[in-house]
Amino acid sequence: MPRLTDRVWSPYVAGIVIGLLQIPAFLLIETALGASSSYVTIGGLLASLVDQDVLKIGYVARHVAATGKNWWQVALVVGVALGAFVSMRWSGARRQAIAPIWARALGTSSPTVRYAVAFAAGFVMLFGARIADGCTSGHGLSGVAQLAVGSFVAVTAMFVGGIVAGRLVLRRI
Amino acid sequence: MSVLFAVVVGLLMGVVFGVALEKSRVFEPAVIVGQMQLKNFLMLKVFLTAVATGAIVLAALNGFGFVKLQPKAALYAADIVGGLVLGVGIALAGACPGTVLTQIGAGYRDALFTLLGGLSGAVAYSYAEPAFKGTMLTAGGGKIILSDLMAVPYWLAALALAGLLIAALVALEWWRPWRQEIGRDVDGDIGSSAGTTARGRLAPAE
Repeated sequence: MPRLTDRVWSPYVAGIVIGLLQIPAFLLIETALGASSSYVTIGGLLASLVDQDVLKIGYVARHVAATGKNWWQVALVVGVALGAFVSMRWSGARRQAIAPIWARALGTSSPTVRYAVAFAAGFVMLFGARIADGCTSGHGLSGVAQLAVGSFVAVTAMFVGGIVAGRLVLRRI
Repeated sequence: MSVLFAVVVGLLMGVVFGVALEKSRVFEPAVIVGQMQLKNFLMLKVFLTAVATGAIVLAALNGFGFVKLQPKAALYAADIVGGLVLGVGIALAGACPGTVLTQIGAGYRDALFTLLGGLSGAVAYSYAEPAFKGTMLTAGGGKIILSDLMAVPYWLAALALAGLLIAALVALEWWRPWRQEIGRDVDGDIGSSAGTTARGRLAPAE
């Protein structure tokens, strides 16, 4: 029986828990699991602090509007960080500031290099997710489970892009 | 549905999601980079299990008429271009947009930079979005699902997909048992051939 004090659950147990979350998402919020839209909601609000006009972009206005779906997803990703934090504290699986594989993958143990790569990668990741209108959650978990044809295409492209970059840009870990 | 209700539900669901992601170790950079380098298959195991479970629960919920499906529109050029770009970002970040938050919760400091980069990328896309309208990237738009193309009910095709995924997972587990992919520090780091060579090398004579 999986316990909250465990450091590891079987990927199958964890995957089932994640898949079951579609039930409250569909029944209570009438939406599917997703994560990347929340970056537009929060990013748009932060950007509006320096440029009020960003809220005039229809795309931003739609994402920052006080709707249940927009703010449900922001709450979801905040909850993910909280859940990971309590889970880590319960099990004692503490992490270093930077995972040891990065020294191998990047060929340097410089934190500055890793922070710069992380920022750039985050930028690319969300720019791509917004072009595709979904990420590993929205297209991956939810789109494929709903048999959405575009999501099968997007998920295939994600793995192709990831494998190419993982093998050509990074060193073998 | 009030916004407050949605936020409370979101927080509760997020905590469960975060616990499951943390326990599965799928958020670990070694797992995500390892998956992209075809060295560690934990990510695929968690992902395909969650998809199969989702397909089964949605087959039931939709089949019995409790919920409507919410598929995204098929925008092929956007799905391909965006998917490729997203994939490159996932490999270099060692995270995806949801697992970045798991990494922050678990204590990885570099994930804060991934998050800031992600917010900046979303803002940059927002400024560019009006210019993308009417281009290749917004062409298409039908909410096409596979079962409609095959002219079978969704629930039937979803259960068939779940069956295929379960068979694939059984094969995957037989090929690569998950316990061997966790690593000593439960971070999915199962060592490198380069590291073994370095440790095995004779110390130079003084």
